[in-house]
Amino acid sequence: MVTSFLSVQEKNGMKERLKVEHLSVSFFTDEGEVQAVRDVSFSLNAGEVLAVVGESGCGKSVLCKSIMKLLPENAKIKNGKILVNGEEIAGYGERRMRELRGKLFSMVFQNPMTSLNPTMTVGAQIAEAVRAHQKDMGKEEVEQRVTELMQLVGIEQAEERKKAYPYHFSGGMRQRIVLAIALAGNPEILFADEPTTALDVTIQAQILDLLREIQKKLGTATVFVTHDLGVVARIADRVAVMYAGKIVEIGTVDEIFYDPRHPYTWGLLRSIPAFSRGKESLPSIPGMPPSLLHPPKGDAFASRNAYALEIDFEEEPPMFRVTDSHYAATWLLDERAPKVVPPIGGNTDGT
Amino acid sequence: MKSRNKVLYYGKKAVAFLASVLLLSVLVFYISRLAPGDPLVSYYGDRVEKMTPEERAWAEEKLGLKDPISVQYIRWAGNALHGDFGISYKYKMDVTRVIEGRIGNTLVLGGIGFLLIFTLALLLGILCAWKEDTWLDRIICKVGTITGCIPEFWLSLLLILVFSMQLKWLPSSGAYSVGKQADFSDRVCHLILPMTVVVLSHLWYYAYMIRNKILDEVREEYVLLARAKGLKRKTVLFRHCLRNTIPSYLGIMAISVPHVLGGTYIVETVFSYPGIGTLAYESARYKDYNLLMLLCLMSGIVVILCNMAAQIINERIDPRMREKEAAETSEVMML
Repeated sequence: MVTSFLSVQEKNGMKERLKVEHLSVSFFTDEGEVQAVRDVSFSLNAGEVLAVVGESGCGKSVLCKSIMKLLPENAKIKNGKILVNGEEIAGYGERRMRELRGKLFSMVFQNPMTSLNPTMTVGAQIAEAVRAHQKDMGKEEVEQRVTELMQLVGIEQAEERKKAYPYHFSGGMRQRIVLAIALAGNPEILFADEPTTALDVTIQAQILDLLREIQKKLGTATVFVTHDLGVVARIADRVAVMYAGKIVEIGTVDEIFYDPRHPYTWGLLRSIPAFSRGKESLPSIPGMPPSLLHPPKGDAFASRNAYALEIDFEEEPPMFRVTDSHYAATWLLDERAPKVVPPIGGNTDGT
Repeated sequence: MKSRNKVLYYGKKAVAFLASVLLLSVLVFYISRLAPGDPLVSYYGDRVEKMTPEERAWAEEKLGLKDPISVQYIRWAGNALHGDFGISYKYKMDVTRVIEGRIGNTLVLGGIGFLLIFTLALLLGILCAWKEDTWLDRIICKVGTITGCIPEFWLSLLLILVFSMQLKWLPSSGAYSVGKQADFSDRVCHLILPMTVVVLSHLWYYAYMIRNKILDEVREEYVLLARAKGLKRKTVLFRHCLRNTIPSYLGIMAISVPHVLGGTYIVETVFSYPGIGTLAYESARYKDYNLLMLLCLMSGIVVILCNMAAQIINERIDPRMREKEAAETSEVMML
């Protein structure tokens, strides 16, 4: 039951780029083991955008960085498989990972103000990414490619701006540069780790449109990490909702927005201002996320969950199937559970 | 416009330099004369004790020590501006000639020591940063901290005791053996111990600084992006991190000249190495005012110039500083 939903898309004839099975990642700190990612499974098909949504600290970024093995030394993949195009890479060392980074998958980071080297021209930084996997490329060709990439991400007068330093650019422009760097090696998978969080709202929209446009043009499979559900509706094909290091619900955008099944997803959706338009107050989820240093017994969300059942405090719920593409980890979906009416969502008949 | 900016920029630096030198000379002049002691002793030796008050007065008059300090200073400064720094009471010849004979030794010890310190510190710093938190890094850090804490004079004495007294491998003092002034290998032998002390006592401080500066850079987010591009760890370290560390390292190098110089002076004194350091020590001890003045001024000028060089280097290398400075000077121009 737990893994069956992974292979559905494959049967439908779509090419599976990335498949993560039962991945657990922990940080070993002085205080103890912090279980940042706990038993996460999902898959990503070619040309698809998967949004990973959740509160700060729920393990979204760690999930991406652990797939690219960009975590600090005290982080370890404890368990699980990472299959990229069917190739198991969880056990790869630094040398083999380096060959994959940039070429197979690439990453855009949250803060464009800090993710570029301040003392190197942007052109040189893009060129470095171009050359990383095409060592025999001539100088002229590299320059040509850099210009192309800069044009691709919508930077005008690329020839002149190549010679500029990052501090000459605004946040939005820097994020475009970072995107150009990420795309330099024609990666099949792009991890976008909250790429618009550090930008102001109008620029956010521009960068999102750009991401979507490029993603359509190049067909890059994308994992889009965000805490902003408004962004998700705009960009994603499928959504994975994460809570306390676990994926609690995964499905297509329509399924998550119109037929959410997990109480945590209900809470998230209810806290979007647009859903509460005309009402006096904006509902929020009470309490705080649990510490990942000592995750509670049973369902980690139980203590904040108004719909919690007794079993939630005892045993972690498995992934229940809703449809072939929609799964949620809540005991409410067990056939023995009492029927509750979701506070949100279009489809309320409980099927 | 741009060249005028430059003139203004260097003009300001030159004014600051001259003001510092002037202030330094006044301070050294007054302080050296306020210290207790009899300058006549260094000129006349033991005879001073048998002098009558008249003879003393005559001698003081002759050496120009009778006038108020301010008058003495103005006379000294006037002569100094004409290139006449007076005579050394002890050596009874022009102070410039006394220094001429010694400065080469100090330059060899301090200069080579300085280059060694910074090359080794850079290599050691990179090694430790590369091997961060491994047993190698930890051992080097611990040993380094210990050697860095040992005072120079104590380490000198220890080395003399072991290598000169016990093992009799190396000479304990001087710059050359009697009569072997031109013998290269003999000079090298005399340099080994003092050089070891100069290098060891400063090495770790700078190596540790480099290590931590590199590690600061390694923690920056751009390193993550550089690695996500598919660059090797080595490439990221050398092309990105080290490159961003070098400007501040050059700055530190320039600022550290006085420290290394000071260290060299102490080491010279312990090893009776005939350089500027021993000379400065003697001149302060025996109230050889003119010699002391010139030595202090020289050291002071080196320090000031090095600090300015550090500032200029940093501004030249970091593109952000470069433009900020251009913007600032043009603002000044607009006012």
